Amino acid sequence: MSEVSFRQRVGALALVAPLALFIALFFVWPLVTVLKESVSDATVSHALPTMVDAAADWNRQSPPTAAMKAALVTDLRGIEDQQLFGDLVRRLNSAQAGFRTLLPKTRTAVDKSRETTAPEAVDLEEIDKRWSNPAYWQAIAGTLSPFTDQHLLAAVDLSRDGTGAIVALGADESANLTILLRTFWVSALVTLVCLAIGLPYAMLAAAMTGWRRQLLLGAVLLPLWTSLLVRTASWYILLQDNGLVNDALQSLGLTDAPLRLIFNRVGVVIAMAHILLPFMVLPIYSVLITIPKTLMPAAASLGAHPLLAFLRVLLPLSLRGVASGALLVFMAAIGYYITPALIGGAQDQMISSVIAFYATGSANWGMAAALGIVLLAATLLLYMVYGWLSSDKTARA
Amino acid sequence: MLKTLQVLFGAAAVFFLIVPLIAILPLAFTSGAFLTYPMPGISMRWFNELVTADAWRRSIVNSLVIGCGTTMLATVLGTTAALGLRGRVVLGGLFRTMFLLPMVVPAVVLGVGMQILFVRLGVANSYLGVIAAHTVVAIPFVVVSVSGSLEGIDRRVERAALSLGASPFTVLQRVTLPLAMPGIASGAVLAFATSLDEVVLTLFVAGPNQRTLARQMFSTIRENISPAIAAAAFLFIVGTLLAAAAAIVLKKQRQRRTGLA
Amino acid sequence: MAIPRIRFDQITKSYGSLRVIDGLSLDIAKGEFISLLGPSGSGKTTLLMILAGFESATGGGVWLDGKRIDHLPPYRRDMGVVFQNYALFPHMTVADNIAFPLQMRGVRKAEIAERVKRALDMVQLGAMSERYPAQLSGGQQQRIALARALVFEPAVVLMDEPLGALDKQLREQMQLDIRKLHMRLGLTVVFVTHDQSEALTMSDRIAVFNKGIIEQIGTPREIYDHPATRFVAEFIGETNLIEGTVERVEADMATVRLAGGSEIRVQAGTAATTSAKVLVSVRPERIHLGPDAGERGNALRSTVVDSVYQGDHLRVQLDDGAHGFIVRSDRRTAEWPQGAAVVASFQPEDCWVIAS
Repeated sequence: MSEVSFRQRVGALALVAPLALFIALFFVWPLVTVLKESVSDATVSHALPTMVDAAADWNRQSPPTAAMKAALVTDLRGIEDQQLFGDLVRRLNSAQAGFRTLLPKTRTAVDKSRETTAPEAVDLEEIDKRWSNPAYWQAIAGTLSPFTDQHLLAAVDLSRDGTGAIVALGADESANLTILLRTFWVSALVTLVCLAIGLPYAMLAAAMTGWRRQLLLGAVLLPLWTSLLVRTASWYILLQDNGLVNDALQSLGLTDAPLRLIFNRVGVVIAMAHILLPFMVLPIYSVLITIPKTLMPAAASLGAHPLLAFLRVLLPLSLRGVASGALLVFMAAIGYYITPALIGGAQDQMISSVIAFYATGSANWGMAAALGIVLLAATLLLYMVYGWLSSDKTARA
Repeated sequence: MLKTLQVLFGAAAVFFLIVPLIAILPLAFTSGAFLTYPMPGISMRWFNELVTADAWRRSIVNSLVIGCGTTMLATVLGTTAALGLRGRVVLGGLFRTMFLLPMVVPAVVLGVGMQILFVRLGVANSYLGVIAAHTVVAIPFVVVSVSGSLEGIDRRVERAALSLGASPFTVLQRVTLPLAMPGIASGAVLAFATSLDEVVLTLFVAGPNQRTLARQMFSTIRENISPAIAAAAFLFIVGTLLAAAAAIVLKKQRQRRTGLA
Repeated sequence: MAIPRIRFDQITKSYGSLRVIDGLSLDIAKGEFISLLGPSGSGKTTLLMILAGFESATGGGVWLDGKRIDHLPPYRRDMGVVFQNYALFPHMTVADNIAFPLQMRGVRKAEIAERVKRALDMVQLGAMSERYPAQLSGGQQQRIALARALVFEPAVVLMDEPLGALDKQLREQMQLDIRKLHMRLGLTVVFVTHDQSEALTMSDRIAVFNKGIIEQIGTPREIYDHPATRFVAEFIGETNLIEGTVERVEADMATVRLAGGSEIRVQAGTAATTSAKVLVSVRPERIHLGPDAGERGNALRSTVVDSVYQGDHLRVQLDDGAHGFIVRSDRRTAEWPQGAAVVASFQPEDCWVIAS
């Protein structure tokens, strides 16, 4: 009897399925790839397959076992792919300096004795006495797992030392934390500027009627419909040393020489605030227009001074819109790439630029992916808070 | 006093919002080689450059090809899914969230993933890959827009059509889709606009042969800025205004005729 | 008996654990105008939707002219449905709206034009054919919806509170118009409403719904004069209900002892068996107020608690002596000020006994 509704459900699912598949293929899968890339580290386990078993129950404190040494020899003799060997050297060297010379030297030696000496009989310490240093073995053991947290740790300027403990990276080794903090700081600045302009603007728009309101709303919507690149290019033209802003300042006699407005923080914040302002104004406005117009007169009739009425009535009621708007702006800002890349200087590059650099510039997928995961996590967290705020409508309104 | 402040603030804010959009327009007609005022003279040389210089011309063609591909794919997929999401689909909420997330996820992160994956799938540096990437970010606009207009349709109107003898497919064709058409159309326009303006994903997945207008503008600003940018921007803004005007006129007409929103 | 046009047999409908229709059976004859009357949530609209094919029953079967139609989708059921908000196609002209069901049935173009014109003339809106629904008034939209549901001469016309959105005057006009069409065209109509006066005005039979079952089915007269249950008595019109115990039953009369100790004589319905606990229903307009009981069989001495002027009648509330009766008193007989001593009298024939 419920066959009809069952058929309807199947029909509905069949309609949703094509897009669901498409999104799974071209949206979810790329993100999963990023996630996998950020934790995968298959080079060493791929290059040293017998070592994986041999070192499985080594406690990393005692000297390396004979089986491990034999496994290393077997594996080194087994590597035929020159590219793979290069990757192995790079990977191990990043865990323990010295492998860059040690490994090729050892490989040449064990290759030479391939016909004469069984793997168990090779004396590695004789080839190079660094093999008596447990740090090298610890490095190998530490990189054998196909999964690693090294990229993720490096994304926040941490790493593991030889014993596997998490330690902070030296100040000169990485600047990811600085960039993360800068990203948050610039985004916070942009959010504040948007709030300072957007809140009074939304209140004004909500208080106005007729063409004045239309004008104010249109002025917010028009930029939203305009190409992001056009807006960024425009700011480029306005802010450059001989641009309109500097021309105006000088002809008004406010400055003598051109102010530096582009390729620095000021330009980035101004341009981003302009681009993201609609996302602040619209949520606040949409909350404000639901507030009855009679509320302020009512407060006044109850004896509240206009300022007090504003602070006690209008402001608390608009807070949900403010929170939504601020979250939207902040969320969009931390992932911004184009505007900082075009308007900012080297000191204003945000996390997206660094990710793009790792990915396209230096082909360091692990780091690009790890920083991407950090950015993704921050964004999704903010989005969840935003979703929670906007689904809470009835409870608070 | 308060009134004056309001007017001043409102004027200043509108100025801040609008002027950057206008400031670039006259420079499209400069006869000089720099993007600065005052302009040495008026000429059409930069528009000429757009249609004659190989890089610009090809990027415009690419943008149109990719934009049309994205619009078709996103509109068909998004409209179908929005129709499906209307019913009581299993996991409907999850699907809806999935379809909106591309709007939220930072483009750079998605771009990195697509770059790695597209190489494996063999669609890197291909039109197909760029269209797929653009479609992902255009989908939320189509789904939101079409869902919105579908929500506005009274289910009883469709039931009435059924009771009058129309099969479900006929109902879709004669009643549901015509009534949802404004939403579908605006979804398609938004999809095209999204594709036209997309830079970040294009940077990651497009090869030199798929360089789009937006991508070309990006590297022009970055590497050797020229007034061709202003000419391109002029086209963008005029196009936006025309599209908006057309939308408003169509809506007015439809409203006058049928009383529909 | 001939095969009924529509037969519901043991229909059950549940949403999860919520049972909205509970084992309902009902036969509707050809050419009959039947109203499904009940409060919202009583299952009447759900039954209509099951009949139209928009909902499927959890159990039981539906027959049309002796053929089972449960499995048929709505578009193969040959039923004209008029919806509460008319559900006209907003993007089609009036003529296109009415032509729609004919197009669906592959009727030839020339014939469509002619039948559309006839349908429009039938609802007196011939001049509106090229307008869009949004350009019509509520009443006009109503007529178009009606024309659209009738133009293809369906076996049954289903109406789901079709007059609910109209103002009172227009609603009453439309009630009469629909009633006339029903009689002229010999339509079988299933009419859902929560408005009891609408049901009383229009129907051949009324089925009173409550909590997923039919409490009573009968002609408007039977329903009003002889309510079978307390729910029906209270839902249809206004009534006074008094608790009592049946003392004696003699032929078609019975004596009921009321809570206060007084006795009244009543019509003996099926509920009146000796020493049964019963409710006696007396309609407010059947009670007479005066200095004495006159010729009427039952009399209760009382005092006027409140008296409200209502234009064509007085609404008088009596005290406990008359069990708090509400009385609709003809203003021509007397004004009854508050505190006046009065005798409320009524005929045994106007007292109806309901099992309590």
